[in-house]
Amino acid sequence: MGYFIKLGLVLLIITVVASGILAYVNDLTKDKIADNKVKAEELARTQVLDGAVTFEQRSVTLPAEEIEPNPLKKKVEAGPREFIYYEGLDADGKLIGYTFVASQYGYSSVVKTMVGVDKAEHITSIKVIEQAETPGLGANSATAVFQQRFAKKGLDALKVDKDGGEIVSLTGATITSRTVTNSIAAGLKVLSDAIGGEDK
Amino acid sequence: MSFITQIFTLAVFAIFVNNFVLSKFLGLCPYIGVSKKIDSAVGMGMAVIFVMTMASTFTWLIQEYLLTPYNLEYLQTIAFILTIASLVQLVEMVIQKTAPSLYKSLGVFLPLITTNCAVLGVSILNIQEDYNFLGAILNGLFSGLGFTLVLVLMAGLRERLEKAEVPEAMKGMPIAFVVAGCMALAFLGFSGLNF
Amino acid sequence: MKLFKEFTKGFIKENPVFIMALGLCPTLAVTSSVENAIGMGLAATFVLVCSNIFISLLKGLIPDKIRIPCFIVVIASFVTIVDMVMYAYTPEIHKSLGLFIPLIVVNCIILGRAEAFASKNSVIPSIMDGLGMGLGFTLALVVIGSIREILGAGQWLGMNVMPAGYIESPMLVAILAPGAFIIMGLLMATINLMKKKQGA
Repeated sequence: MGYFIKLGLVLLIITVVASGILAYVNDLTKDKIADNKVKAEELARTQVLDGAVTFEQRSVTLPAEEIEPNPLKKKVEAGPREFIYYEGLDADGKLIGYTFVASQYGYSSVVKTMVGVDKAEHITSIKVIEQAETPGLGANSATAVFQQRFAKKGLDALKVDKDGGEIVSLTGATITSRTVTNSIAAGLKVLSDAIGGEDK
Repeated sequence: MSFITQIFTLAVFAIFVNNFVLSKFLGLCPYIGVSKKIDSAVGMGMAVIFVMTMASTFTWLIQEYLLTPYNLEYLQTIAFILTIASLVQLVEMVIQKTAPSLYKSLGVFLPLITTNCAVLGVSILNIQEDYNFLGAILNGLFSGLGFTLVLVLMAGLRERLEKAEVPEAMKGMPIAFVVAGCMALAFLGFSGLNF
Repeated sequence: MKLFKEFTKGFIKENPVFIMALGLCPTLAVTSSVENAIGMGLAATFVLVCSNIFISLLKGLIPDKIRIPCFIVVIASFVTIVDMVMYAYTPEIHKSLGLFIPLIVVNCIILGRAEAFASKNSVIPSIMDGLGMGLGFTLALVVIGSIREILGAGQWLGMNVMPAGYIESPMLVAILAPGAFIIMGLLMATINLMKKKQGA
């Protein structure tokens, strides 16, 4: 019996020491990790809205969406949702445009796109900030070649060519192209309503 | 979608679309190592299904009631792998008592289930995909089924290959990999399946 | 001189991937690009060397019956440290490697070397063994990664190495799952051929 206790004790000591070391390293790194996330989003914002120096966060509350609860996944709070967007101001404090993040499930992952919009509600540029689509096909949505196709487009043009719009889809990646385009269009519509409502 | 449909969807995704071996590259060592004979493949597969399901259960509980409430998420790797190691030890003792012939045929591969990336992989994935308790258990079960399916298919193919004329340099592992590649190619057809 | 032998054996003679067929899961998963291959290889090498050091230092204190769980705790701790440090300082690679960073803990190479070498030898040879095996692993990953990236995307480390026409439509299957398996099989066959020619 004493033998087993000794075994258990040795394992326990090693585990406790290890946990202590990990707690220490966790402390050291967790701030940098949180920082990275914020920095990455800030960077994406400046990249899609040229000339913007500062950003101010705004949000609109949208009515609760009818989300079919998935009995196998954790409960998602079915309350009113927030649509967050940013107003971009130049060095003189003048409003030059807006940014928001469009997010939708594509072929094999959620695709998140940072979208820059000018005051005339046309897209300035976009940047796909998160995706895990098929390499070589849908993943090319993160390339400049694809993203350039969105420049200067307004809400009416925001459909893939197959659906009658002006966005040329990626070869062999219709679903991803459609996802990105439609999620941007949906976000633009919400943004347009939000700014329209603010017009003084 | 109804409850049954959701479960069916999960099953199809776990077994075919996101097959652990052929699309996620998890569980390769036993896949190449134990797939020489159909009998041992089936035995190994059953053991893995059991361990994956039990591991999903216990690791989910540990994450939910120990790691998250006390902000100890960084201990996930240690906690999970120790849980799995203990589980495998338990399974080993049980099989030794109840089915000694199976124990002998699995040999050293039984304790190796601990290092089977599929077991640790499914435990971590359950948390990442935000499954609740039932979802985690089912995901573990179905992913294990997917692993076993591919393992048994592979064993069947390799038993046939023993009798085929394979070039000397390709014998053994190389041809097994190429065959796996062809299977993966077939399973690639499942990707993009959407209900 | 013997020390040097411990170091170099991991490269060719006892290469963990090609000769001993260990560590297969990460090998196929992360070699879709050379950058990921190097990232994983170095992370695994770090864990291997550190755990070899600690296990060699503690070898007198760990009772034989629980040695495997103790090794696992030591290895898992270093894996967690690598995970946190990469998340903080190299977030891009951390994201691409994803699930496979915590999976380093079940990389048979590391547990295998702990069991076969570090628990039976002193610290300096264990360091050499760890470095050699780890770098051999990295070498194998880079070789496979290079083949897959060049064939599948026409690039090496992100730089174009194939003519533009090839980059337009490369052999995509190489960076997808089936290609990984087939290329691995053919590589192993090639190595078998070379071993036979050497009369080894």
